[in-house]
Amino acid sequence: MRRIIILVLFSIAILSVGIINAQTTDEVTVDVSLDLDTIGMEEFATLQIVVAGKTQNLPDPKMPTLSMFDVMSQGRSSNFNYNNGVVNTSLTYRYLLVPKRPGTFPIDQISVVYNNKRYKGNKVELTVLSNGSSVPKSLSDKVVDARGDTKNYFLEAVVDNPTPYVNEQITLTLKFYISIQYYGSPELSEPTTTGFWTEILGNKAPYYQTINKTRYKVIERKYALFPTQTGELEIGRALIRVTVASKSSRQDDFFGFFGRGKEVSIRSNLVKVNVKELPGMLRPDDFTGTIGRFNITATANKTEVEANQPVSVTVKVSGTGNIKSVAEPIIPEMDDKFRVYRASTSENISKVNDKIGGTKIFEEVFIPKRPGDLEIPAIAFNYFDPSTHKYKAISTKPIKLKVTKPEGFIASADIPFDAPDAVISSNTRDIRFIKEDLGDTRQKGRLTLREPIYIFVNALPVLVFVGLMVVRIRNEKLSGDVGYARSKAALKEAKKRLSKAKSIASTNTTADFYLEVYTALVSFIADKLNISPHGLTTDKIKELLKERNANEELVNQVIAIMKRSDFARYAPSNITQEEINKDLSDAENIMAEIVGVNFE
Amino acid sequence: MPKILWLKLWGSILSKVLVIIIFVLLLTVSVFADTELFQQANDYYKQRDYSKAIELYKQIESSEIESAALYFNLGNAYFKNGDLGHAVLNYMKAKRIDPTDQDIQQNLEFAQRFSSVQMEGVELNPITAFLTSIVENYKLNFLAWVSSFFFILFIVAITLRFALVYNNTLTRMFVVFSLVFLVIAGGLTTFKYRSDYLTKRAVIIAEDSKVFTGASEQSDVELEAAPGLVVEILSESTDYYQVLFENKRRGWIQKELVAEI
Repeated sequence: MRRIIILVLFSIAILSVGIINAQTTDEVTVDVSLDLDTIGMEEFATLQIVVAGKTQNLPDPKMPTLSMFDVMSQGRSSNFNYNNGVVNTSLTYRYLLVPKRPGTFPIDQISVVYNNKRYKGNKVELTVLSNGSSVPKSLSDKVVDARGDTKNYFLEAVVDNPTPYVNEQITLTLKFYISIQYYGSPELSEPTTTGFWTEILGNKAPYYQTINKTRYKVIERKYALFPTQTGELEIGRALIRVTVASKSSRQDDFFGFFGRGKEVSIRSNLVKVNVKELPGMLRPDDFTGTIGRFNITATANKTEVEANQPVSVTVKVSGTGNIKSVAEPIIPEMDDKFRVYRASTSENISKVNDKIGGTKIFEEVFIPKRPGDLEIPAIAFNYFDPSTHKYKAISTKPIKLKVTKPEGFIASADIPFDAPDAVISSNTRDIRFIKEDLGDTRQKGRLTLREPIYIFVNALPVLVFVGLMVVRIRNEKLSGDVGYARSKAALKEAKKRLSKAKSIASTNTTADFYLEVYTALVSFIADKLNISPHGLTTDKIKELLKERNANEELVNQVIAIMKRSDFARYAPSNITQEEINKDLSDAENIMAEIVGVNFE
Repeated sequence: MPKILWLKLWGSILSKVLVIIIFVLLLTVSVFADTELFQQANDYYKQRDYSKAIELYKQIESSEIESAALYFNLGNAYFKNGDLGHAVLNYMKAKRIDPTDQDIQQNLEFAQRFSSVQMEGVELNPITAFLTSIVENYKLNFLAWVSSFFFILFIVAITLRFALVYNNTLTRMFVVFSLVFLVIAGGLTTFKYRSDYLTKRAVIIAEDSKVFTGASEQSDVELEAAPGLVVEILSESTDYYQVLFENKRRGWIQKELVAEI
């Protein structure tokens, strides 16, 4: 138990140290700056050290030995603010640096020690010129008026680059020099900047500069100007109204306190700028006129997504230049993979070291059309870099997306499919429109089922079937029953014999003729009765026919023709052609009648 | 055969052919006339003169000609004219001719939603529902020809097997399969024919249609029906039909309040 308590206490101790460390880490900043980076031997610069932190007990900075300067403290100011329970303190120390010898001197090693930790300030450099003044010749000339007297005040307008490219930033600096006392604050009328897109960079803290042995207070105001057209442009004059101490009034006033000043207006010089066109050579086809120096990045809010779900891609273009003129990056066509929508654009303009820059953010929404491993390709962006006088093309890194199948998606991964852009409910608003064509008409109430053609089509195969069945049954009967077969074939056979007899019905073939007639009759009766024809005498036939209730006359005729045939076969020479013809005719008539006899 | 007889025979055949030709010509002419009338009716419909459109559509119907499009358009005209009962009636007629047409089905369902009385507890017998789901998308004529096809196939099979005595496994299987298909197709056709033509159906066309418990006005009111409801006619007396609603409620309704499909 004791062990556990010790362990817990120990953990708490470690944690609290960690928390304290975390709180103190990077909590103190040291910012070192100079008001001028170049001075003459007879001039001086102000070194400003700002120590800031989230604590009330900020330590003093430790100054290094600056042997090449006489360092004079200008005092300390402090600033507290309390925001959301956090105290922010900043201490500002100012030192006047008076150079002892010319040269370039780095100033670093300025640091503070807080909570046993050392916080170092940034490094600055001060150049001391040997000629005694950092003031350019032109400026020295300006301070002298027409009569050769040194001016008490003047307003100077300068640009850092008088020959910019169109849309390239130039910085206009208005410097108000004043060496005498003034009352109130000077009132400025801004210069006209037709042909430029203008952004005010702001005022710089006043500083002092010695020109021709006169110490001037200098108030600077800077503007970022972006020429919007080519050719010679003119920046108008700025005007400052200020009340300065009047010498005469000072003499009247014994104490010099109540001196009435006089108001003076000071105009700046005109500034001419020659704006160049961008070089036409090597200009990319998709160049949109952006000038400056930029970076481009693209980030997706997720890299794994279901098909048809949006992925938000943030394309960030940042750098220096007219950020407002940054055109939207070109997104390559990807109809087979994504649908792309513009979500929003936002820009954040910043001013760093008198340069306008910032970030423009394009939010693009990519909706993958199908599952699989997809890639949002590199998004290209190009701009003109005025410092190198060249066009530059930059692009983002491609973003790989893993697109998964949504639930219920059954199509194959290769088939793209579209999610609805809008949902149309199944509820229709009206009936569907009338038909233009009367279409297939039919007689009212007429049905295929009742049509004769339908009945015929169905009945025909039945009839064929029945017919074939009858044939089959008959064939079977014929092959299985000799008597039946003979009876069925009897008439056919008899007719065959009679027709043969007819063909030989002449006196030359009398015997053969009568043999055929005889056989036709006897065979017919024998076949019908399924008995042998041999041994069928006329008496036997007479008896058989009578048994079958044959007509008496028919029986007599049959017997008569049989007897005549017998006779003619053995005495053919006595038969005339007329008799033959008559007997043939009789035989045919007998055959026609004998069929009616029931032999069953 | 004597020459005169031959001439007589030819004459009679010729006269029959002539009659058929004239009949076909008349039919063609009447169809042309109907097409023209149909276009006129459609024009009236487009001009929103629905009463006139109904008049012309009905004129075509009275010439003993019918088509799915005719009943469909007539249904539309009635619907636009505010006569829900006749609209449903004609959509039902159109659907009976061409159950494959989605427009008809759509408009029928759309129109029936407007009926002021909706049936609750509509439950189909599962077997009927199953059979209906099979046959509802086919025309009766189509089913009839399919049945006929299998019937002929079956006859061919038994002819091979019994009349031509091909007694082998193939023909025996042929007989069995063709019979199975014939039974299925024939059964479905019969079901379709029975439910579409032998079962008498009607649509209520009149507002305030009281359904009584018996075939007289003195009977109690079983329910109040509304135009657009479809009923099955079970039996009839002089002035009344005994009707069965989709949810199996039944009663007697005056004949003039309904129209038979």
